[in-house]
Amino acid sequence: MLQILIYGAVSSAIYAMLAVGFTLIFGVARILNLAHGSFYALGAYAAYVLTSLLGVPLFIAAPLAVLIVAGFGVMMERFLVRPLRSSQLAVLMITLAVSLAVEQALFITFGSEYRNVPSFVADKLSIGGVDISGQRLLALVAGVLVLLGLWLFIQRTRLGAAILAVSQDPEAAQYMGIPTNRIFSIVMAISAGTAALAGVLVSPFLTVQPTMGLLPMVKAFAIVIVGGLGSIPGSIIASLILGYSETIVAYLISSSWTELVSLVAVVITLMIRPSGLLGRRAAF
Amino acid sequence: MDSFLRPLAAASMIVAGALASTAPASAQQAPIKIGIPTSVQLQVGRDTQNAAKLAIEEINAKGGLLGRKLEMVVADETENPEQGIAAIKKLTADDKVNVLIGGYTSGVTLAQLPHISNAKTIYIGVGAASPAITAKVKSDYDNYKYIFRAFPINAAHQARALVDFINGKLKGEMGLKKIAIVGENAKWVQDLVPILKKGATDGGTDVTLAEFFDTSTSDFSPLFAKVKNSGAQYLIVVLSHASSDIFVKQWHDAQVPIPIGGIDVKSQDADFFTRVSGKANAETVGMFAIRAPLTPKTIPFWDEFVKRFGTAPVYTGIGAYDSVYVYADAVKRANSVEPDAVIKELEKTDHVGIAGKLVFDELHDVKTGPGLQNLLFVQWQKDGARVVVWPKEAATGPMIAPPWMSN
Repeated sequence: MLQILIYGAVSSAIYAMLAVGFTLIFGVARILNLAHGSFYALGAYAAYVLTSLLGVPLFIAAPLAVLIVAGFGVMMERFLVRPLRSSQLAVLMITLAVSLAVEQALFITFGSEYRNVPSFVADKLSIGGVDISGQRLLALVAGVLVLLGLWLFIQRTRLGAAILAVSQDPEAAQYMGIPTNRIFSIVMAISAGTAALAGVLVSPFLTVQPTMGLLPMVKAFAIVIVGGLGSIPGSIIASLILGYSETIVAYLISSSWTELVSLVAVVITLMIRPSGLLGRRAAF
Repeated sequence: MDSFLRPLAAASMIVAGALASTAPASAQQAPIKIGIPTSVQLQVGRDTQNAAKLAIEEINAKGGLLGRKLEMVVADETENPEQGIAAIKKLTADDKVNVLIGGYTSGVTLAQLPHISNAKTIYIGVGAASPAITAKVKSDYDNYKYIFRAFPINAAHQARALVDFINGKLKGEMGLKKIAIVGENAKWVQDLVPILKKGATDGGTDVTLAEFFDTSTSDFSPLFAKVKNSGAQYLIVVLSHASSDIFVKQWHDAQVPIPIGGIDVKSQDADFFTRVSGKANAETVGMFAIRAPLTPKTIPFWDEFVKRFGTAPVYTGIGAYDSVYVYADAVKRANSVEPDAVIKELEKTDHVGIAGKLVFDELHDVKTGPGLQNLLFVQWQKDGARVVVWPKEAATGPMIAPPWMSN
């Protein structure tokens, strides 16, 4: 059962990295970003291009890839989302359009072949008799550190306080002299960056492929619905629930049932508690 | 979300295909059109097109067929039944092709069958392995006589070959008595696994675990842990649409102490070894052909293909090349492109192909057996070398253990 504990933790950490950014940008800027999966895919592709095509060492390529995608997120927010922000539906459509455009651009540039990103850690570790590749453990550790860092940033810094203020009431925050637009840019950078980091960390043990952003996007959405849109602690709890239930289902029933877990979780949540575990208000 | 984009990709490929094939239309008569429904985004799809193009160019260079040029039209059937049906409708209704050569996903081909039958167009499958595809030829000959499969040998035949590998190589030569079987949750695998399980059990091998996984599975650790716990000494894999890359990488990275082998379609790709940074080392893959003197045509075709397209052909390429010739020969013998006449001649096919002799059985399905089409077990070894390890008479070297198990 130690296996379930460890593998479940890895899945949960990756899900949490994806879901926190997704819920953050919604909580602060009310942007339901359907292009969130694209950040994940772009992160993986950036790592692939830098390492495999340009020969950049992996430990430089990884942060570089995250920065590039964070920049892409900021550009997207500034030039595509911001002009449309008065209409939530228009924002939804433009982010969907971005995700389709990104996927198609990846198809045209790289074709549909699977691409490979080298492992950060080649070793295999054994924890209490459970074999786990170093790369997975790295994803777990990085995920925990990123979430911890994010929490400290929001709770302990002035900028974090500003982000909290904007998420509670953007207009009041603006009257207090908080530059809301700049806060939106920063939050978008964080959101895109964490998704990209997840993409970079998993690509060595998964694979890099143009449609790779779709499933994580669906998962992130499911987690955020379960956890409550806009709630960071809620999405972390939901990540743990989903990560572990998928692992448990894979062990006790069959791997062919795991993809159903998130859908069932969404249906149950919407039936019992539509605002999610820790949702402060109804989503829309 | 894919479905939004696929028509675009399909349209661009069709334009490209049409441009490529309109060049020398010197014959006075209209060309004979060969429709290629395939997954154009995948290697199997590209090789289907490239190999068909190669055969068409060779035939055209020798004066064409019945004094007419051959022409190729491509449609993207993706891996999705709806797109597959659209591709067939486009090729038969709009392009009015004389024959269809292609296919990859059994579920797609099965969905296409009624539409092929309605269009009364001959279809030669080169990619899908489900026995259900040609089963209708017998039960409803008048409607389904148009359906042929030239490649690969069907899932039931593949299962028998795999059973021979399990009982002959694993149990007979290596003394392994416990195996696990894992496969993707797809039609052809569901057809194949029960035969495999029964065959292995009858041969005295203990099947400790048989499990399916979703084709979109991205984390195989639970599966590997289960296989390990089951006490299996060898892991038979059966997958085509799921990601072989992820499967093999995770097997290698976790140093799963069990060798793997079986039918793994994406591992047949020539670039697979480099694509996974050499992590496929010691994986054994069932292949329908390899660059070896299987027939006098194998090596010349292989080398020409590599020279023209820069990569070794995957199985659909071999099937497509043979199918163009098989169709052309049948048309020549029938002296007509009328489907009924051509079908009568196709049924008499006895063609020396790339991988062996190509003969159809009464279900219009390609026959297997010595000298015919077979499944070879080929192991990826150091630096991406490919070594045939089974059947014994075709073996080119010994089977090796994964590096972390060899000491």
